[in-house]
Amino acid sequence: MLPLGILSLLFLYGMMGETARGDNSKCLSCHGNENLTKKDARGNKISLFVSEEGLKKSIHGENACTDCHTRIPDESHAKTGIKDADRKVDCGACHEESEKLFKTSVHSLKAEIACKECHGTHSIKPLSDPKSATFQTNLLQTCGECHSEESKQFAESVHGVGLTRGRPNHPTCTTCHGTHGIRPRSDPESAVHERKIAITTCPQCHAAERITREYRFTTKPVKSYYDSFHGLSYRGGDTFSANCASCHGVHDIRSSSDPKSMIHKDRLQKTCGVCHPKASVNFSKGKIHTLADIRGVDFGEKAVGWVRIVYIILIVAVIGGLSFFNFTDWLRKTIERRPKD
Amino acid sequence: MAKKYLRMTLNERIQHLNLAINFTILVITGFALKYPEAFWASPITDVPLGMTFRGFLHRLSGVATITLGGYHLLYLAFTERGRRIVIDMIPMWKDAKDLWETLKNNLFINQPAKVIKMGRFNFREKLEYLGLIWGTIVMTVTGFILWFKEEWLLFFPMWTFDVSRAIHFYEAILATLTIIVWHLYSVVWNPDVYPMSWAWISGNLTEHEMALEHGLELERLREEEKRKLVNFDEGSTAGGGRVYHVHPRGGEKFSIKNFYGTVKSLNESIKDWKGR
Repeated sequence: MLPLGILSLLFLYGMMGETARGDNSKCLSCHGNENLTKKDARGNKISLFVSEEGLKKSIHGENACTDCHTRIPDESHAKTGIKDADRKVDCGACHEESEKLFKTSVHSLKAEIACKECHGTHSIKPLSDPKSATFQTNLLQTCGECHSEESKQFAESVHGVGLTRGRPNHPTCTTCHGTHGIRPRSDPESAVHERKIAITTCPQCHAAERITREYRFTTKPVKSYYDSFHGLSYRGGDTFSANCASCHGVHDIRSSSDPKSMIHKDRLQKTCGVCHPKASVNFSKGKIHTLADIRGVDFGEKAVGWVRIVYIILIVAVIGGLSFFNFTDWLRKTIERRPKD
Repeated sequence: MAKKYLRMTLNERIQHLNLAINFTILVITGFALKYPEAFWASPITDVPLGMTFRGFLHRLSGVATITLGGYHLLYLAFTERGRRIVIDMIPMWKDAKDLWETLKNNLFINQPAKVIKMGRFNFREKLEYLGLIWGTIVMTVTGFILWFKEEWLLFFPMWTFDVSRAIHFYEAILATLTIIVWHLYSVVWNPDVYPMSWAWISGNLTEHEMALEHGLELERLREEEKRKLVNFDEGSTAGGGRVYHVHPRGGEKFSIKNFYGTVKSLNESIKDWKGR
């Protein structure tokens, strides 16, 4: 029974391949010509050339032209060459999920942007292909076409430098902003909404054990932030309280050793001063992300660690002693009150 | 009706109520910061600007508590009763012995249980009062460091701020648990007073309550009363110093009822008069 099932599946798969693999020779007989152009309403020359090689190498190389350009197949187009309102390809016919997400995005709602603006047209490559417009390092270019300032800032940031060196898992635009469903920062559902920055956006990597081990940094900043006043108040819903981006910046996050960094020791006083106008030089001395630990590196960590231990002993001893005393007191008074027969 | 002894004057009861309210606000608004995801913190964290209001309320209550502390110091220094409280509150060797004997009673080591006579403030109350003073000082100092961090960090390094934060938190736990375990036992769960000691509302303790908790003080008060009776200058005013109005409702027209009342009270005064 099993081999028969596999066989029938293989047969079906073969059928699908057969139907998907369209014959594009008819279309390419005209559009394969590099000189094929048309004039748009403003009189600009627009190339109608489709590279056969590019199409063949794209992820859609097996598709027929008519799979996407669904309104073409009437014979009049081929005969007269008259355009047939086929410019808007409905990607959502196959990519339903992406289409649905994209419809909610700021790109769809506020801007006249379609799939092709990011993904390209005939030579769409899979995400993992280094030549793809949506490959992680190419996104700086792709998104930068519109968001040039942000893209430039990001390229110089600690994230961007690592990214352009080709390290896998390095953050790119989509790591924080998401892909199809990008929303404006002010939208509470946005991946970079201020309520999400310190809960998911940064911690998705900076609190991830695997990534922190691979790139040899610690989860300490996230943990200590959550236990600091800023983090605690933020967790309680305070939007005036500092989150990661308040001190570290947004696109131009740099290492603390970089003199241009917002958290470089020479600039820290100024950074703190945004919210604490009277910030003194002591704000920039000593560590910020500290966890109470008697074996800690920082003196403050050790001091707080000892305070913690002393107080825990004190609390256990005092409260334990008082509870014990009161329990015996209650016991005696209760026994004395027992009904006598 | 059983005889009652004044435990807290109205002034002291208002001080106590003030402290109770402010302490509760401080505990709730303080721990809502440390445990923002706790279910009981949701009234603060779920509303817009809740955390901002929480911070404001915490500081406000802190200032109120410190002001109350200042007032209490003045009360202790500048009133007769206040100075008496200070003297009675000094921990003595007897308090340690009382504690020890109470513990032995409780563990049934003393057979039969010893009757322990304690003063105006017994060891439970002295311990709590001194703890309260200690806690208020610690919380005030560390609280002001956290509040005025910019000014503090002008002179002191960052780690002192972190230490203050830690102390403020752990001292808060200690104080809250002490109130729940020690104070609420004394005035609520203690079988002698359960369901509640009414002294914080009525200001009085009954003779029975006095005998249980403050035997020595009760004896002292009785002595004092006796002394007063002995020293009573009976010739001075008829009726023990009380003023009897001959016309209880002055300005009213003469009536048989009024006249009867006047005669009756006069009669009673004469009857009660002990004569020289």
